Amino acid sequence: MKSSTLIFPILAMAGLIISLAACAQLKALPSLPPWHPEALEAGRVSCTECHEKLSTFNHTTAFVKDHRFYASSDNRNCAICHKSSFCNDCHTNQVEMKPSIKLGNRPDREMPHRGDFTTLHKIEGKLDPASCRRCHGRANNERCIICHR
Amino acid sequence: MKKMLYHLFPALILLALPAVAVADTSVDSTSLVRFFQDSRPNFTEKDFIPATQFLGVDVNKLGDGNLSLHLYGWGRADLADKSYNNDQADGSLTYGYAQYRFNQANGMIRLGRFFINEGIINEQVDGLGVHTDLPLGFEFTAFGGATVHSVDMPGERTDGKGDGIAGGRLNYRYAGIFEVGVSGVYESNAPVLTADQPLATGVAFGSHRLLGGDVWLSPHPMVEARGHSSYNTETEEFAEHSYLLNLRPHQDLVLTGEFNDYRDRSVFYSSILFSSLLTNLNDKSRTAGGRATYQLSKTVELSGDFKRYSREIGKSDRFGGDVRFTMLNNSLRTGLGYHYLRSSPEFAIIATATSSGSFHQVRGYVLHDTKSYLAALDAIGYFFKQDINSRSNAWEVITSLGYHLTPALTLSGDVSYGMNPQFDDDLKGLIRLTYNATYTGKGGPK
Repeated sequence: MKSSTLIFPILAMAGLIISLAACAQLKALPSLPPWHPEALEAGRVSCTECHEKLSTFNHTTAFVKDHRFYASSDNRNCAICHKSSFCNDCHTNQVEMKPSIKLGNRPDREMPHRGDFTTLHKIEGKLDPASCRRCHGRANNERCIICHR
Repeated sequence: MKKMLYHLFPALILLALPAVAVADTSVDSTSLVRFFQDSRPNFTEKDFIPATQFLGVDVNKLGDGNLSLHLYGWGRADLADKSYNNDQADGSLTYGYAQYRFNQANGMIRLGRFFINEGIINEQVDGLGVHTDLPLGFEFTAFGGATVHSVDMPGERTDGKGDGIAGGRLNYRYAGIFEVGVSGVYESNAPVLTADQPLATGVAFGSHRLLGGDVWLSPHPMVEARGHSSYNTETEEFAEHSYLLNLRPHQDLVLTGEFNDYRDRSVFYSSILFSSLLTNLNDKSRTAGGRATYQLSKTVELSGDFKRYSREIGKSDRFGGDVRFTMLNNSLRTGLGYHYLRSSPEFAIIATATSSGSFHQVRGYVLHDTKSYLAALDAIGYFFKQDINSRSNAWEVITSLGYHLTPALTLSGDVSYGMNPQFDDDLKGLIRLTYNATYTGKGGPK
């Protein structure tokens, strides 16, 4: 085992020890509500209509485009309003069709690969392959390998 | 494995049915029947009618009220020619897990198939996941189990993933001002490639093992920075730096700056597909850009953006803007967008000194969704600076009409038509039946 990989079990052990030590005090810590107590209207929401301090999560175009940054550290906030299946319209392991086809009746939603992406991907793939890898690197590549053998 | 899933998915739903009757349950179902044809010179004409069912079931408030079950997946049957691979039917269990939420400390246990997205971790796992807040501002997340395998690569008997995976994140948040986290994912050894069609000499491929750190910083309500860096312990170099800066000088104005830096060898190390696709794994990729979003009024939002792509083979810029309108008590939503990719010749489909990968992108849509019906029109066009397959553009128009049979049940149909470098006439249609039992609740119609 490489020395650098030793850090994985060390981190796990540290986390476990901290968890056990803190268990006695957990009852004093509140939980987020399991879901939003008020029904939300369709379309993009503005959290600041009710929550003054949550301007970060207002679903502006900037937020929607950059939502990966928020989901990686605040996904428990996302889960108050969104089911996992909302995310899995795009983010999944084995995709059956383009999300914009499944949700062709929702053009207002941000969807990847609209239009003739079969042509476009030959340019976009060279431009920023790391952005492809996030979804297609180790999953969702069944269609990729039809041509890319 | 697929055969097992065909049986497993309906079995799980049937098992959940008794609980559905007594618990707080929601069902999300989308049934689609698509119609399209593949007619090209020198190829056999094929008609496709794939029928696809997406189904999600959430059963909440079981047991003491904190236990819940969550299932989501899809299945497809081809009613005419095979639409995709050699199978007349296909399916996938996206997730299926039992979850217990504790009333304190955001404690949560998940058991089954689920996605985990924490820090640098972004995985689908068959196993166990736990999360808890800890005293003094700490939080702890851990998961472990079996990897969820996808399709084997051509010439191989593997998808390139190891069979076991574990990881976690420990983070610390201080007084709503900053948060730091460390996270890691460790997958068991990547399979040895059988090499019926070996990867090119020098290709780097190996196990999926990453360590990383993430940060969130908001010293003032108008300023926020967040992002993460990941380190590949196999290649012993950083894989990714990805950071975002948000400024809110006015409550209706958001200024965003984004920076991403990648080392291709380390980013793509555990992906057979990309390891074999990329010819120069020593390459570095960098994107940097910004976006301004201004809520002009309750009904109008303006957005402008710029991004520079820098790779060792060349540079490109993309810039443009969008305007969105939301009217008639949110029932009418429409938008327009324009972007231009100014690309250096190296990014053209066939790169030569005189080629170009530049193109304009124009999109407009309108959606009117009332209590009784919905109607949508969506048009997108790409206009190439240099012809591709003797075409200067690719465009598509989608019309959708639907009727809300009940607040939860909607029948709709789409027709799309387009022309592009692949097809002279690209005509497709589908019929869609959507049932969403939590229409105004969690998840809702968003």
